[in-house]
Amino acid sequence: MAMRSQIYEWDASRSGHGGQPIAASNTLNTARPYSIFIGGVGNNITKPAETTATQFVVIEDIGCSPTDLATATEDGLAADGVRAYIQVRINTTDYFLDPDNIGNDGIPGTASPYPRTIAFQPSFNLYPDVYVLPGQTWDALYTHYEGNTNNTNSTHQAFVKYTLYDGPDALIANKLLEMGISVNPGNVDWYKRTLISGASATV
Amino acid sequence: MAMRSQVYEWANLATSGNSTIRRAAGSQPVSLTSGREYDIFIGGFGNNITKPAETTATQFVVIEDISSSPQNGSAVQVRINTTDYFQNPDVTKQDGIPGLASPYPVGADSAGSPTGTNYVLSSFNLYPDVYVLPGQTWGVLYSCQTDVAGSENAGTTGVACFVKYTLYDGPDALIANKLLELGVTVNPNNVDWYKRTLIEQASAPMNGGEA
Repeated sequence: MAMRSQIYEWDASRSGHGGQPIAASNTLNTARPYSIFIGGVGNNITKPAETTATQFVVIEDIGCSPTDLATATEDGLAADGVRAYIQVRINTTDYFLDPDNIGNDGIPGTASPYPRTIAFQPSFNLYPDVYVLPGQTWDALYTHYEGNTNNTNSTHQAFVKYTLYDGPDALIANKLLEMGISVNPGNVDWYKRTLISGASATV
Repeated sequence: MAMRSQVYEWANLATSGNSTIRRAAGSQPVSLTSGREYDIFIGGFGNNITKPAETTATQFVVIEDISSSPQNGSAVQVRINTTDYFQNPDVTKQDGIPGLASPYPVGADSAGSPTGTNYVLSSFNLYPDVYVLPGQTWGVLYSCQTDVAGSENAGTTGVACFVKYTLYDGPDALIANKLLELGVTVNPNNVDWYKRTLIEQASAPMNGGEA
């Protein structure tokens, strides 16, 4: 199945595959990371995201609900937004760290907003991309710090854009990684062309 | 872990006192005084970390973007060891990049009003990037030209800073140093290019037959 652009959108107000929308019976607590895939809140999938031996995933963009930090209310809650962050975890390792080398909450939604609006435009570009090698498990963890635990008025959304390389293209992706070449569709196609050129030259 | 894109966000929000390690729910804005520099890592105001940002002998940091809230005359300065990166043309001290030139978030209102429509876009792009060499300590300093009123002064003003950087670790940090020596820009593409040349040089004798 070659290589395919993929996305995953998570919304705490939706349901699916065991995940339930935020309600009095299903809360989204502050200061706690929730898996957007299998966290039990919002739309979920049936099992953790993982690559098989013949798959290679490149995470190219990630974002979540933004917050306007400019005006906070006197009880400490941000006026507009939930102070949300999103972290990528590969197996058991968090990708984003603080400068003291301790894992943090990840990318602020304010820096990588989803959805993007005129008032919330990205300050962040996920480059270099994040590679998920064959056989690894990966996750995106959503954490927020404002809003009531079962506040159905708050918006909690997250978005992940990734490319799935499958079969021979996953092998090529691994080869590119070994060669120190960025894994992207253009470079995978380039490697295929060099293979074809090499084979036809021999013939 | 090779090279990784990293971010740090600071806001003048704390749960008790003036600062909180990492983040906490229910944080309130703390007051900031104009004309003073606040270290966003260990300054004792807002969310902080446990120790100054520093690179080990096997790390290399490239700061690629830096921004702050556009209101209150906010500005951010980068400091490497004891040297400020941004300076006036007469080589005197300045506050750094104004939030109006590099706003966080991009699109924020210039006066910080949630209902304002004076959306501020970036006038500034941090290029060339700022390098933090192995063993150096670095900091980011926030300052404002008008006082920021926190909840202890019945104020509700939140201000924030954002730093985007790439951390090169282990062998990639060595390559980053080599690129610096060669006068080549340190970025992920060039690190990959250098790796490829190393691999090609290593495989050339094997493929070359008799010398």
